[in-house]
This record gives sequence, C-alpha cells and structure tokens, in this order.
Amino acid sequence: MPPIINPDLCIKCDRCVNICTEDVFFGSKKHETPVITYPRECVHFNGCVDVCPVPGAIWLRYPMPSMIVYRTSSDYEAPPG
Amino acid sequence: MEEQLIECDVLCVGGGIAGLMAAIRASELGANVVVAEKGNAHYSGCGRRGNDHFETWIPEVHGADKEKFIDELLKTAKGEILIGRDILRAQFGKAHEIVELWDEWGIPMRQKGKWEFAGHAFPGRMMTHIKYEGRFQKTVLVQQARKRGARIMNRIMVDELLRDGDRVIGAVGVHTREDKVFVFQAKAVILGTGKCSRLYQGLTPGMMFNDGHGGVQTGDGRAMAYRAGAELMNVEMPQRHIGPKYFAKFGQATWVGVLRDAEGKPVGPFVSEPDRRYGDIVMEVNKLAPEQYGERGRGPVYMDCTGISDEDAAYMRHWHIHEGNVSLVDHMDAEGIDPRKHPIEFSTYPLRGGGLIVANEKAETSLPGLYAAGDEAMGDISAAATFGWISGDTAATYARTVEHGDVEVTRPIIAALESRVDELRGRGNGPDWEEANIALQQVMTDYAGKVRNEARLLQGLAHLRRLRQKVDTEMMARNQHELGRCLEVHNLFDVGELTFHAALDRRESRGLHNRPDYPFKNPLLSQAHIVRMEGDRPVTDWRSY
Repeated sequence: MPPIINPDLCIKCDRCVNICTEDVFFGSKKHETPVITYPRECVHFNGCVDVCPVPGAIWLRYPMPSMIVYRTSSDYEAPPG
Repeated sequence: MEEQLIECDVLCVGGGIAGLMAAIRASELGANVVVAEKGNAHYSGCGRRGNDHFETWIPEVHGADKEKFIDELLKTAKGEILIGRDILRAQFGKAHEIVELWDEWGIPMRQKGKWEFAGHAFPGRMMTHIKYEGRFQKTVLVQQARKRGARIMNRIMVDELLRDGDRVIGAVGVHTREDKVFVFQAKAVILGTGKCSRLYQGLTPGMMFNDGHGGVQTGDGRAMAYRAGAELMNVEMPQRHIGPKYFAKFGQATWVGVLRDAEGKPVGPFVSEPDRRYGDIVMEVNKLAPEQYGERGRGPVYMDCTGISDEDAAYMRHWHIHEGNVSLVDHMDAEGIDPRKHPIEFSTYPLRGGGLIVANEKAETSLPGLYAAGDEAMGDISAAATFGWISGDTAATYARTVEHGDVEVTRPIIAALESRVDELRGRGNGPDWEEANIALQQVMTDYAGKVRNEARLLQGLAHLRRLRQKVDTEMMARNQHELGRCLEVHNLFDVGELTFHAALDRRESRGLHNRPDYPFKNPLLSQAHIVRMEGDRPVTDWRSY
C-alpha cells in the first residue's frame, strides 16, 4: 500500500513526513528514512511525491480496490465458450 | 501531559481555504491570529491539491447587476439549495474582489490575460465559473497568511470550544504527535474544519480514506459547535457526489465528455457531443443517474470522452492536474487508460454527512465570538474563499471590542478533555478508532442511509447509542496519532446521533432524505431545520431563511 520509499535514493530530508496531512509517516525519526506506519490512511494526493527533491525516491502505489473501471472495444464481447 | 496556553485575538480552527483566508483578512486588520491545523496547512482541506473552477460574478462580463447573476444561479444550478439570498449576495458581492486578489498573489485566475468561463454550465445560459490554475493555491495562501503575521500551528487538533456565559472565549485541543494539550485564549474563534467524511460507508467499505475530500474531514467543527451550544441546520440532509468508479476523485466539470449509457445514448438532455465549454451538467442536475441506471438494469454509465481532439485531451489533462487529480492522471497513465479511446465508468458516490453550522452573511454563528466559514457553513471553493475573508473581517472587528475571557472558568471542559485523553491512551485493550468508525459507518448506512423510516431510525439510534457507550468506555489509542483519530470518531458519533434525531423530525421526503413513511415533499418545511443542544439533549426547530 502507498507510499513506497526507495531507501537507497532517500536523502532523509523529512519533507514528506512534514507535509503529509494524514500523517501516514507517524513515528518517523528526524533525518532517518521515513517509516510508513499508516499506509491505509494515504489519500493519494501526491503531496509527498511533489515535495521530494529526488526523482524516484518516493512514489505511490494505488490500491487494487481503487482501480478505475473503463471500457475497451472488446469488453462487451461474449466470453469464449 | 504538558499544557500550553496560547493567547491570540482570532483563532482559526482548520487551515483550509476558509481558515487561511480568514487568517489573511484578520491579520490585515491588525489582529493577532493563530491558525490551528490538525494536518499541515500546505496540504490540508478540500483545496489541498487544487481546484480549477471558481464561481463568480464578474461585473465587466456579466453586467453591473449582480442580482441577475444570482437569479440565474437560483433558476439553474442552485435552485434546490437551501441558502438564503442574503448569503448569495454577500458571496458574490465579494467573490470578484477575491479573484483579483488571488490573481495578484500568484494563483493564476486569468488565462492568457483573460477570464475563461467553462464547465458547470448549461449550454445557452449564463456562464458562472471561471477556470483557474489552483494547484498551488494552498502554498500561496499559507505564504500570504504568514506574510501578514499569522502564526500557523500544524498538527494541533482543536476539539472543544471554551465558553464563558454565551460567549466563546477560546478552544482546547491536542497535539497529534506529542503528548501536549493546547489551551487557546481567543477573543474570537472561526471554525473552518470542512465537510463530514467517514460517517457513512465509502466507495470501498473499510477503506475509509478512498474519499474525494481526503479522510480527515470528520465534522469536527460542527460537532464542537453543537457541544458548545451553537445551532446547526439540515444535519439530516446527506450529500452525494459523482465521479470515476472506485477511485473517489472529484472534478465532474473538468471532464470534456458526455455522460452516456451502455448503448452510447447521452444520459442527459444538455450535451450530445463533448464540448470543453460546458462539460456535462447532467451530473450536477442528477448525481444519482449512474445509480438509477444500475437499479433499472440500464448501466453501466460512462464518462465518454472518446473522439476528442488531442488538443482537448491535453486541455482536460492540464485542468485535472489543477483540480487536484494528479493521482487520477498518474493512475490512468500507469494502467494504459486513454480517455480518448476508453469510456470511464462513473458512479454515484456513497452518502456523506450533511448539515451546516448556522451562520449569517457576516459568518456570525448563534454564539457571540464564534464564526464559521467554508464547508462547515456554505460549501464550494468560491464560498470558502469569500466567507473565509468575511469571517476574518467580522471576527477581527469584534475582537477589537472585547477583552479576553478568563479561560480558567472553563477548567471543567479542559479537564474533561485531558481526562478523555488519559483514558484513551491508558487502555491496553478494546476497539481502536478504525473498528469503532467502521461500526458507526455500518449503522449509519443501514439505518439512516438511502431509505429511512421511523422504526428503522429509532432502532438505528438505539444501536448507535449502545456503540457510543462502548466507544466512551473501551476505545483505545496506541499513540497520539490514533488519539486524534479517536477524537474524530467521537465527533462523528455526535454528528451521527444528530442525523438520526433530525431525520426522525423531518417527516417528509426531500432530496436525499427519503422517507417512504412520509413520501411527499412538504413545501411548509422549505425552511432551515435547526438542531441545538438544550441541557444534554438535542432539540429541533424550523426557521425561515
């Protein structure tokens, strides 16, 4: 569940920890790689990704139940058999 | 537990659009202002990641008579909204000035130097919403508030108002990371704490933060206002929204498309081909359309943008990002979903708590020293910005006329909160906030949900009270973060209980209040349905507005 941090790229600047309104990073220690204590409380507003100064150090994985439903040209075809 | 006293002229509870605009205006008028925000004001509230539409009368566009603009709104989009004309006059008397201020501060309200009206529109009628690039609006407003000397205190959840006689003289709250209580001695308090999510089951039951407003707008303001004796109105009238199925994101008017059924027929009569000027306002006329189509065996319903030009697709993407839908755009990119090729299924979103804190055109509530703005009082970004400003003006002016109250006379309220905190933190077993919240959502959805009748409402209320007793005696918080969530759950239980009371008292069917035991709309009840506390019980009343 989101967010996900690459500890090799994280520079431990705490920006994501500071801005997250839901505080999914609660319990993180200053200048250490943030811990994701409450992933279920992420609302996917991308604030943490926006403020991160290192591309690829943090990203969001969208939970499966939130996947949107869309229609392709073959979705209405009867299933084989 | 450490207790800290903070003195200020004006306390803004909540650092959303309304709270920050209130802070800006009150500071300009010379007030010593504190904003207490339970998250981080840079990324809190409904406007946290942006908006792209702002409803406003612009004299050089609409003509000098704003009454005609209001007439048009009442004839069309706002026709069913229970708002007095004096409120709309106050909003649109100020909104065009706010728009100019925002533009000056660095929130782009004009596009290439001009007003661009689009979306939320009936073809052939007056256009009422300008497009604006709001992605970084919160950052701009935080800077503007600080520039004027307002002190923004993040991670403080205000939980109770302090009263001396009728007058509100401050508030008390907790830090959501550290073991601290904050007592605010304030001459005026402005509530701008947003909507009421997490009261009903959401799109994915149990995943409470899949919510277009985020998951932390839990009716805190209306709950504490009620406990302090202020009047609320229309608490039983729930709200619903519409958007992409399963990923709760707003921005109905940002889509350049047509809402169509499975056979490709437009759901509404307003547009038959995608048109960036209008969007498809059928979603605002009837947010229940996808649900009704489903119930009648005619679903699914899609937002169909297929065939739009690359230019229109880029336009829509740009505005989704400013509307706060970066994650939606990212998700579609990652899954290979292209709105030019793939119709996106839309659904009616589940119920959300309703009601407002009663506030007049000056943002004054029924208690001296207490003001309300934003979604707690009016709703939408234009109203939040405008009444935020108005509340700051009124509160700062009032603060000049009074001395500080003595918060020590409110010691029992402060002590009660401290004792509740100790209990929640001290328990080692029992339901956590999440379990309690899910139980509440279950009873709200099943007994005060889409269909209501007297027996069901009475049974649900009885069950809610039993749950409440467990919450009061058994709920536990493992740390300060969970403590904040527990206090939110307390607030939600208060709003839930009031919803049952008010729903029982509204003996008619209207809007989303569906009572088959009173199936008709009663025109005599086209009034504000007031609820307030007398003793320790809610009493209801009807009042014209």
